[in-house]
Amino acid sequence: MTQSPRKSSAQFVARVALLASLALIFSYIEAIIPYNPGIPGIKLGVANIVTVIALYRYGWKEAACVSVIRIVIAGLLFNGVFGMLYSLAGAVLSLLGMIGLKKTGLFSVTGVSMAAGVLHNLGQLLVAAALIEDLRIFFYFPVLLFSGIAAGIFVGITSQMILRVLR
Amino acid sequence: MKQYIRKADIILFIVLVLTGLAVSAALSFSHADAGADAKVVIESGGELYATYPLSEDRTVEVPAYGNKGSNTVTIENGEVCVSEATCKNQVCVHHGSISRGGESIVCLPNRLIVRIEAGGSEEGGGYDSVTS
Repeated sequence: MTQSPRKSSAQFVARVALLASLALIFSYIEAIIPYNPGIPGIKLGVANIVTVIALYRYGWKEAACVSVIRIVIAGLLFNGVFGMLYSLAGAVLSLLGMIGLKKTGLFSVTGVSMAAGVLHNLGQLLVAAALIEDLRIFFYFPVLLFSGIAAGIFVGITSQMILRVLR
Repeated sequence: MKQYIRKADIILFIVLVLTGLAVSAALSFSHADAGADAKVVIESGGELYATYPLSEDRTVEVPAYGNKGSNTVTIENGEVCVSEATCKNQVCVHHGSISRGGESIVCLPNRLIVRIEAGGSEEGGGYDSVTS
């Protein structure tokens, strides 16, 4: 990178803003599609495609910023403050997991995203357990684990396809 | 295909699936049959709200903890369900009925837990007796 710090920070802001608004549109589309899986926390998480792409194409800082901005705004717009709290916990765990697994270099985008899906649901479950002060909520754990795997694989393969075109 | 799925991905996948299967197996064993004198325990905001026998039909309206709203809990024919709720996601209503010891319905927006505690003189509902 031969750019001056000023230019690259402007680039960073622009990039994050663009990606965050893209992710927000995905969140919105997912929020208006009427489907009810019957169990809380089961979502495809289309917006996470943007996070994964930000992580692989740009870096962890971009991915973290995009993810947090998207969740805060989507929380205020459609999911409510409680939904935001769950998503933030999930996002922090899954971001840490993704960054860690990506560093090992062993996993493909699909694998990293699969782990992220599971960690995202685990984070939400931990917040739910803390809020409701009852560990019995971990009855949901297997369901959330499997749905996290499925959603993560979907997000991972889609992201990989998009990344291939972007390259 | 190789760039989509690698060996480590498959190993991770198998580990995760096995974890899920192990946890769900462990959980299904801990669901005891409710027994004749099973109780329906309703908690609001982490505090005990009321306890009713599972064998008696009744309908209770539980005010939501902290904020406005309520959940209507219906006990009928040895089954419990949340028949109505003011919460936005209606997850507790869609959850359906529970009838076995250790099972529970949770409404996160209203911070409500409805669960069944198995009766009987022995251990009760497994780990339920530990926490009580």
